Amino acid sequence: MVLFVYLGLFTWNIRTGYVDNLASHTGLELTRWVLTPGRWVWTRVSSFWERYVYFVGLRQENEVLRDELARANEELVGAREQASLAKRLTGILMITPPPEWSREAARVIAHRLGPNAALETFVIDRGSRHGVEINTPVISPEGVVGRVLRYSMSAATVIMITDPNSKIPVVSQKTRTQGILVGRGPNLGMSLQYVALNAPLEKGETLVTTGLEGIFPQGLPVAEVSDVSREGSSLFLNVQAQALFDPKRMEEVALLRKIPPPRPPEATEADDALPDTSTKRPKGAAERKGEVKKRGRNEPPEARPQESLPRKKRGEGQ
Amino acid sequence: MTGSRLTFWSIFTLAGLWMQSFMPGVDFLAPGLILSLQEEKPRATIVLGLIWLLLQEGTGSLAFGTVVLWYGVLAALFFFGHWLFEAKNFLFMIILGACLGVLHFGLMNVMTQLQDWRVPPGRVLLESVVQAVVFPVQWGLAYIIYNHLPHNGQDV
Repeated sequence: MVLFVYLGLFTWNIRTGYVDNLASHTGLELTRWVLTPGRWVWTRVSSFWERYVYFVGLRQENEVLRDELARANEELVGAREQASLAKRLTGILMITPPPEWSREAARVIAHRLGPNAALETFVIDRGSRHGVEINTPVISPEGVVGRVLRYSMSAATVIMITDPNSKIPVVSQKTRTQGILVGRGPNLGMSLQYVALNAPLEKGETLVTTGLEGIFPQGLPVAEVSDVSREGSSLFLNVQAQALFDPKRMEEVALLRKIPPPRPPEATEADDALPDTSTKRPKGAAERKGEVKKRGRNEPPEARPQESLPRKKRGEGQ
Repeated sequence: MTGSRLTFWSIFTLAGLWMQSFMPGVDFLAPGLILSLQEEKPRATIVLGLIWLLLQEGTGSLAFGTVVLWYGVLAALFFFGHWLFEAKNFLFMIILGACLGVLHFGLMNVMTQLQDWRVPPGRVLLESVVQAVVFPVQWGLAYIIYNHLPHNGQDV
């Protein structure tokens, strides 16, 4: 009976498709309404989970990136510092030393130091071991900075041209007006002294060294004229100038050293070959000098001991 | 001198030199001389004083002798004031700092005049004021640190 009903329903459904439609519109629909929220929940949960996992990974990645950024920043600061150093050192290297002078770079390690530092000075990392001497000229790419005041084996104190005790003979580059450039202290500029009232000095002219003081080579830029005026009944012009370098921003400087002129080798050979026409003292001069010392400079030459001279025998040569 | 004290004076000297490079014209080692006179044996004070004397004379730009006078007058002021005040009194250090400020101004002017040099008086005056203010403060700090060193357990 059951088999009969089943076969009948089956055959009827194949022919009409009613049961299939009924199943589809109920079961399928119901399943859809059941599954869809579940799927939504599942999607959300899985999405949340993925995002959580992603954020955990992101956090780790963020930390890694932060470390990398810190390292990159550190490298950037280092690279900028290196670039700045390279630029400054290039400036030092671009300084062309005058003929017969050599150039050596030095680092500024301190400015005025201690209670005894009365003058406008700074300390560099070069000393007698590097050939530094008293009055060795110190320059920067902009111009003259100062000269060595005192030194040790590997350090030296440099007095700046802006110090009131620094006096340099200079000449203006354009009108060739001479004067003595004197410092006035920190942030006070410099003054050019002993400039005649009729001197054709102009504002903005560059003052260069004359080399007359025997310390600086000739023609190095020192300062720029900032003001030219007349003052009361003074016999000289009132000339103000500004140093070309900035003491606060100075980190490297260059030292100038005079190269001793090499003695040409042919000169020694010529000395041997040619007769001596120089004003060198002949042999025995030292002994005679000793005699002068013994007898004293103001003593007449007649007082020289006679035993050193060849004595003539009586009647000889007559 | 024990290892801790030796370390203290070494660090004090290094820190003093560094501070002097930041504040030119001011002596950051002078409070150490007073502290040493108060706390150390005379021989240690003489050694420390000689080292500091050479450091200050070497880094300065005046002819040798200024720092001898500077530390000499400071020691004399300490011994003179020792009779009148309690040696470790902060008020005494303030007075000593003020005296040092006046001394710096006078000594700089006299010694530069003797060498026929000129210094900006405004700058020297400012340095003198800073010296007078820094001295008692630095002495106080050094005194506290010194008395917290191992084997130096004293009431601060």
